[in-house]
Amino acid sequence: MATLGRLDWYDIARTTNWTPKYVQEDELFPPEMSGSMGLPLSAWETYDEPYKQTYPEYVKVQREKDAGAYSVKAALERSKMFENADPGWLSVMKAHYGAIARAEYSASTAEARMVRFGKAPGMRNMATLGMMDEIRHGQIQLYFPHEHCSKDRQFDWAHKAYDTNEWGAIAARHMFDDMMTTRSAVGVALMLTFAFETGFTNMQFLGLAADAAEAGDWTFSNLISSIQTDESRHAQIGGPLVSLLVANGKKAEAQKMVDIAIWRAWKLFSVLTGPIMDYYTPLEHRKQSFKEFMQEWIVTQFERALIDLGLDKPWYWDQFMAEIDTQHHGMHLGVWFWRPTVWWNPAAGVTPEEREWLEEKYPGWNATWGKCWDVITDNLLAGKRELSYPETLPVVCNMCQLPINTTPGPAWKVRDHALDYKGRTYHFCSDGCQWCFEQEPERYAGHLSLIDRFLAGMIQPMNLGGGLQYMGLAPGEIGDDAHNYAWVEKVRAVREKAKAA
Amino acid sequence: MSEISTAYLNNKVGPVMRQGELAQAVAEAAEIDNPGKKIDVEDKVAYLRIRTDDEMILKRETIEELLGRPFSMNDLEVELSSFAGRIDTQTDLVRFYFVKHL
Repeated sequence: MATLGRLDWYDIARTTNWTPKYVQEDELFPPEMSGSMGLPLSAWETYDEPYKQTYPEYVKVQREKDAGAYSVKAALERSKMFENADPGWLSVMKAHYGAIARAEYSASTAEARMVRFGKAPGMRNMATLGMMDEIRHGQIQLYFPHEHCSKDRQFDWAHKAYDTNEWGAIAARHMFDDMMTTRSAVGVALMLTFAFETGFTNMQFLGLAADAAEAGDWTFSNLISSIQTDESRHAQIGGPLVSLLVANGKKAEAQKMVDIAIWRAWKLFSVLTGPIMDYYTPLEHRKQSFKEFMQEWIVTQFERALIDLGLDKPWYWDQFMAEIDTQHHGMHLGVWFWRPTVWWNPAAGVTPEEREWLEEKYPGWNATWGKCWDVITDNLLAGKRELSYPETLPVVCNMCQLPINTTPGPAWKVRDHALDYKGRTYHFCSDGCQWCFEQEPERYAGHLSLIDRFLAGMIQPMNLGGGLQYMGLAPGEIGDDAHNYAWVEKVRAVREKAKAA
Repeated sequence: MSEISTAYLNNKVGPVMRQGELAQAVAEAAEIDNPGKKIDVEDKVAYLRIRTDDEMILKRETIEELLGRPFSMNDLEVELSSFAGRIDTQTDLVRFYFVKHL
């Protein structure tokens, strides 16, 4: 019996809109949940998803993907990767799993919002598959690190981080809640699937896979690049929506949401992805610098796609490009300095040969960030480790929730972007973060940053111990230098050799 | 401005494949199915970035022949981690393309 080709029946099978008789259209699709911007149902029906997938195909392909990921894990389980890996690489995994795994469940609920409230039938079909993808990502990224929990309890943070008030977890939750759990179907499609998934997830799931492959961690490399094959499909939910909104006179609304999401994603990646690529990954395994990965994935590929769909570069483009050279160096310095407050062991990454690499990739590094590391290094060489620990808390931004910092040295221009709103002063790290707040102040105004909570007396006792307790960091979990300061001895050897010569 | 700020001014389209047998077949198929076009293949160990200007077509039959076994076009997804440009998925081919030439 002859069967129809899939494209002969695909559109009919997924065209599930109808004219409601018993309720109004707005009751079936409440505008605040659909985010429909007043466009009629006929406009939504022009939505044409480019990456077409049917449910039977989905099941077959996903089964094959999982068989691949789990069999690589099983085959390499006795390879002693954990025992042989550089401690910096283990920190890469800990930071990744803690920051990402539980956010995948939020992503699943975001996809579910499009499944139920998206007014375009094609969006609902793609999001149904996307919702199941994200459940896969949550489960697989909890299962894989679990085997390491018995050897190292920091791996427990893969599951635990999002249930704590650890500062990085607060920052990640604040951003993901903004784009995933508190937006309409259209908001999710623009901010999560388009801006975040066609753009930034490539950095963390493919750029990092390249480093993992170089580091010989095939289980992790294979896992995260497999996850990205799901993203590559369901991220295409956003593209046709952008075209539809542009064609229906809603370009400004679409642009604004995309711009907010790109800026917010950038800030989180500057503290998560930047340090792990340029400092934690062992030097000999760095495939490219963080900046080079940003150029490959975000500028060359993602920004180009954005322009093709009829949007413009974000208004903060020049500032964004400038920050790609600098912001993550400050974030890294801060994470290492406040190392007891994270669930992984930050690698300093500043031996003489690593500093040479940083100078080559980021000309001027030694004269700026290097000067700060000189002070830390000199204190450690002199046996004064206590001076390398923090005594105060940094001012954090009321949008990205990250320490406000900029490039040290003669060009020092750190500035507090302060804004008074309804009797309270908010502090921001940048024009970009302040602008995000100003677009919808009520959405953000009630949130207290970790520092706001500290000043309000919510963290007791008001010292590092009280802070760690508030953040849920127990002994055995609190971070310390990844290499237990062995790198300081490398510096000493080089300096002594120079002195002798 | 630096090189990075203008890097979006390009017309490169094409798949980013997880390394392996299928990635190699796709790189070869890109040459066969896009005659006269210059195909770049960048090997990043974990993935292959396969690119050309403006449009790239990959045919199911070509990949099937290169693999030497039956291949369904949507099996491409198992290894298709990302792609540059827009995508058009059909039963017997996949096309990567841009609407605007910059």
